[in-house]
Amino acid sequence: MKTSVLAFGLVAATALTSPAHADKLDDIIGSGTLRCAVVLDFPPMGSRDENNNPIGFDVDYCNDLAKALGVTAEIVETPFPERIPALMSGRVDVGVASTSDTLERAKTVGMTMPYFAFEMAVTSNDKSGIKSFEDMKGKVVGATAGTFEAIALENQVKAWGAGEFRPYQTQADVFLALSQGQIDATVSTSTVAQANVKTGKFPGISVVGKAPFDTDYVALFTNREEYGLINYLNLFINQQVRTGRYTELYEKWVGGEVPELTVNGVYR
Amino acid sequence: MFSYTFHWNQALKALPQMLDGALITLQVALLSMVIGLALALALTACRLSGNRVLGGIAATWVEIARNTPALFQIYMAHFGLGNFGIHLSPYTALLVGIAFNNAGYLAENFRGALKAIPDTQTRAGRSLGMTPVQAFRYIVLPQMLRVAFLPATNQMVWAILMTSLGVTVGMNSDLAGVTQELNARSFRTFEFFALAAVIYYVIAKAVTLAARALASRLFRY
Repeated sequence: MKTSVLAFGLVAATALTSPAHADKLDDIIGSGTLRCAVVLDFPPMGSRDENNNPIGFDVDYCNDLAKALGVTAEIVETPFPERIPALMSGRVDVGVASTSDTLERAKTVGMTMPYFAFEMAVTSNDKSGIKSFEDMKGKVVGATAGTFEAIALENQVKAWGAGEFRPYQTQADVFLALSQGQIDATVSTSTVAQANVKTGKFPGISVVGKAPFDTDYVALFTNREEYGLINYLNLFINQQVRTGRYTELYEKWVGGEVPELTVNGVYR
Repeated sequence: MFSYTFHWNQALKALPQMLDGALITLQVALLSMVIGLALALALTACRLSGNRVLGGIAATWVEIARNTPALFQIYMAHFGLGNFGIHLSPYTALLVGIAFNNAGYLAENFRGALKAIPDTQTRAGRSLGMTPVQAFRYIVLPQMLRVAFLPATNQMVWAILMTSLGVTVGMNSDLAGVTQELNARSFRTFEFFALAAVIYYVIAKAVTLAARALASRLFRY
């Protein structure tokens, strides 16, 4: 009798106090909050409306994810260079931050399958006379530090062996510098380029053409070892496309032809 | 909670690149210090001149340089002037920003140092038959430099650390710029930043020690 009471007590205690091994997915569900790292100076993916509330594709995407998980979303603003420190120090659970899925970075964080894809566009200062990607050779060009296009453009400038590359900390600084004529041209995602030209805040610049870089597939990311969560995120991305929500969000924030998220001829 | 596995070998591979960056950092800091010292002497002269216009300019300069963030000063040198069609490269903008800041602080150092030397010394010199210039040159100036030397060293250390703000104006060749770039490529944030911190520390410490050794030789009496 006594032993069985004791045994029951032990079982109950273990069951109530600590689940054997809670992973991050459990932590999120348990805490009731999903904290997303989102870059908010990167319209139309992330920005702030006139009341300073976060808006954009990535913000909606995070909200959708939270809804699927049955928790509340919390948008944590992280500039590009701060995405990883924010994740590693436990300030955010998931990055919904237009993060290019390079192999180099995947050594550090866990990447999902692509949830969005960018085409790269060249935007130039009208006075620079740059009309195409090749015209940028030998000129002063810039891009947002830490982005896919910055890395690609810097490599290109090195390959050309002429001109100068300048990385700025925010997308807004790049377009400010471009508008002032400090730099002659920039390469950015075509969505960002069009959104910024359209605002009218940066006079004297225009989108002049495509940059021949690979399509920039961007992924959600979380800690590398959180397979449970990565698995869930992959399914979530798949469902977003399947249910038409991806197209809906694309039309809402970007417009035009919805980019394919699959690569022909190979499995993910 | 901190879940991160350190891979120092990845970071150490980039050490030569970072040391090249450190050289640029030191170069900018030294140049800004030389320019800053020259400007500070000019500002001090303006303040002593008794001319209201010159004095006003010097006072305004010192006020702005000392009471606004260095980040703002560097940002203005690049984007502020850029608004008026004056285009400084990131390197120049950084140099101008820090030199501006240095000049403001050093001018205050000089002023303090001058205050520390009693008027009676000048008068004693004058009564020995020295001209005002001679009295300044042989009596006041050596003592002033002595008093101002160590605070100026502080400013040098500060200048080294301020160069890290160059990343805000697109600087990518100094230590902070190189570190940012390496970080963006690999996301190995903590290794690269820790390494950069150590390098900054070593440079700053070396400057302090060198200045102390120099001071003990120069001001032995």
